[in-house]
Amino acid sequence: MKDASATNTLSLQNVVKTYAMGSATVRALDGVSLEIARNEYVAVMGPSGSGKSTLMNIIGCLDVPTSGTYCLEGQMVAQMPEERLAEIRNRRIGFVFQTFNLLPRANILHNVELPLVYGGVPRTERRARAETALRTVGLSDRMTHRPNELSGGQRQRVAIARALVTRPSIVLADEPTGNLDSKTGEDIMSMLDDLHAGGQTIILVTHEEHIAEHAHRLVRLRDGLIESDEVRRAPAPRRVAVPVLEAAGVGAA
Amino acid sequence: MKLSLDLVESLQIAIRALRANKARGVLTTLGIIIGIVAVVLTMTAANGLQNRFRESFSAVGTDVIYVSRMPWVVMDDFFLFRNRPNLDLREARALEEKLRGRALVNPTVDTRQDVKYRSEDMEGVTVVGTTEKQNRISSAQPQAGRFLLPFDVTYKKNVCVIGSDVKDGLFGSVDPINKTMKIGRSDFRIIGVMEKQGGSFMGGPNFDRQVFVPISTYVKAFGGQRGHEDVNVAVKAPSQESMKDLEYEVIGEMRKVRKLRPSETDNFSINKLDTLVGTFNNVMGVVLLVGLIVTGISLFVGAVGVMNIMFVSVTERTREIGVRKAIGATQKSILLQFLFESSAICLVGGLIGIVLAALLTAVINATLMPASISIPILIVAVVVSVLVGVLSGVAPAYRGARLDPIESLRYE
Repeated sequence: MKDASATNTLSLQNVVKTYAMGSATVRALDGVSLEIARNEYVAVMGPSGSGKSTLMNIIGCLDVPTSGTYCLEGQMVAQMPEERLAEIRNRRIGFVFQTFNLLPRANILHNVELPLVYGGVPRTERRARAETALRTVGLSDRMTHRPNELSGGQRQRVAIARALVTRPSIVLADEPTGNLDSKTGEDIMSMLDDLHAGGQTIILVTHEEHIAEHAHRLVRLRDGLIESDEVRRAPAPRRVAVPVLEAAGVGAA
Repeated sequence: MKLSLDLVESLQIAIRALRANKARGVLTTLGIIIGIVAVVLTMTAANGLQNRFRESFSAVGTDVIYVSRMPWVVMDDFFLFRNRPNLDLREARALEEKLRGRALVNPTVDTRQDVKYRSEDMEGVTVVGTTEKQNRISSAQPQAGRFLLPFDVTYKKNVCVIGSDVKDGLFGSVDPINKTMKIGRSDFRIIGVMEKQGGSFMGGPNFDRQVFVPISTYVKAFGGQRGHEDVNVAVKAPSQESMKDLEYEVIGEMRKVRKLRPSETDNFSINKLDTLVGTFNNVMGVVLLVGLIVTGISLFVGAVGVMNIMFVSVTERTREIGVRKAIGATQKSILLQFLFESSAICLVGGLIGIVLAALLTAVINATLMPASISIPILIVAVVVSVLVGVLSGVAPAYRGARLDPIESLRYE
């Protein structure tokens, strides 16, 4: 598997996921193979029930395939115990959710710090990195606010800062604009575009065509299978100098 | 290093969660508060009783055997002892003669008399006829004036040494030395005041409410019919180790004095502080048992309350658990988070309980008996409350830790 990891950030081989639904078994994924290289910007689309949530959960290491292999940066994830999966999620994956999923009782700074807490990063370094990440998304003046004191767009920027603070291999954005108005949604998308330009690998799940157009590659799922997989634009050259993102450590190898 | 970081972080998370739910947390801890109050009060009461016991009976002495007609604590049928002959002064003197050189022997007789000084009087004060050897048998010493001397006994002097309660009752702030008081119908000159012994223990003898007079004077003043005194003979062992041997010797000599045949049982009793200690331990056992039951029940109720609220908390925060897992929390860290939270709730309850118990102890100290909370009791209280917290948190924390992250993230 080492050879695949040389170029690919992640590689799925013939991944099957079945669920027991009462007496019947549902094949949510029916043999999906997918390779995503470093610094790709991939959109995953599909109608509901197409298996895109399942695929995202497996890529995000929240779930493991029933059969098939999943290799993330040279590590075989499929058969890992819970504790190792948690570590992978912590170190390599940055989640951005549709509903933001910030901790309501903690302030913004603490929300962004939290992944580093679980990563065992010492307090002072943690604080510095969280502050840098918040500066990157333009919220350094809101650090002591609680999530409910912020607008939807600001909350999603906090979530992005939280995803970036661990310098993950992949940012997984699941309908990141689903709860935002179109203007704010565009702001968030341009922020993701900037991240990609700074070298970040991004996987985007959406059902809106104009959101998917931000990506450079579009994977369509239907009935647990890949229906189409097309590259729309050549990947942007790596490491375009974006000073703010460099400061956040984004794209650092 | 990783684990210690987990601990510190979990503690901070727990404190943050508690702050957000202050009212609920405090209500939940009510059971714990009551339980900890019960723990502290039980232990403080037991401690207080023990101290009180020790103080009250320090005058008795652990190395002294008392030969009397009756046992101090009648466990069996009283009628078995009723027909025993009195131990009279003649027998006491004979026993003293036989034990000469082996142990210190002091006979005492006592009765209750009313005492009076000018317009002040006290009823039913214990008047003890004794000798100068009294203050070598017991550790109690005069705090003012002097104790009896051989001279007082030989010449049947009308002198007395009074206990601290008698001094307070009759003289208040007046110096009683060389004043004359009435005991029964006779006048006695006060030559000394005993130091305070700590009062009565649970209806037992009060050594502060005593008056010592020479035994010879006693017989003259209160003796009644000759040969019918009920004498107690105190025999002090030369050392603590020789107590057991001395007890056999005393029994043997006493049987000789009484001319008992081998087939006859002893018609006198041997009393020691140990006898009282045994009785005291029974009392303590009851106190501890009652305390333990109350404590156990309230802590159990408290634990169930905390467990319940922790289940609610885990369910309410299902989504939070999902988020934490998505960004890298392991099952262990979620488990620790909730264990810390339940422990912190119980610790807060325990601390409130300790404060309440301290206030109650102060009230008890001022009214019922000397009592104070000690450091070991506080440590036990804190440990117990944290332990209850951990135990009541295990099931909810385990449920939270095992939640599926995908389901949890979808939870509304």
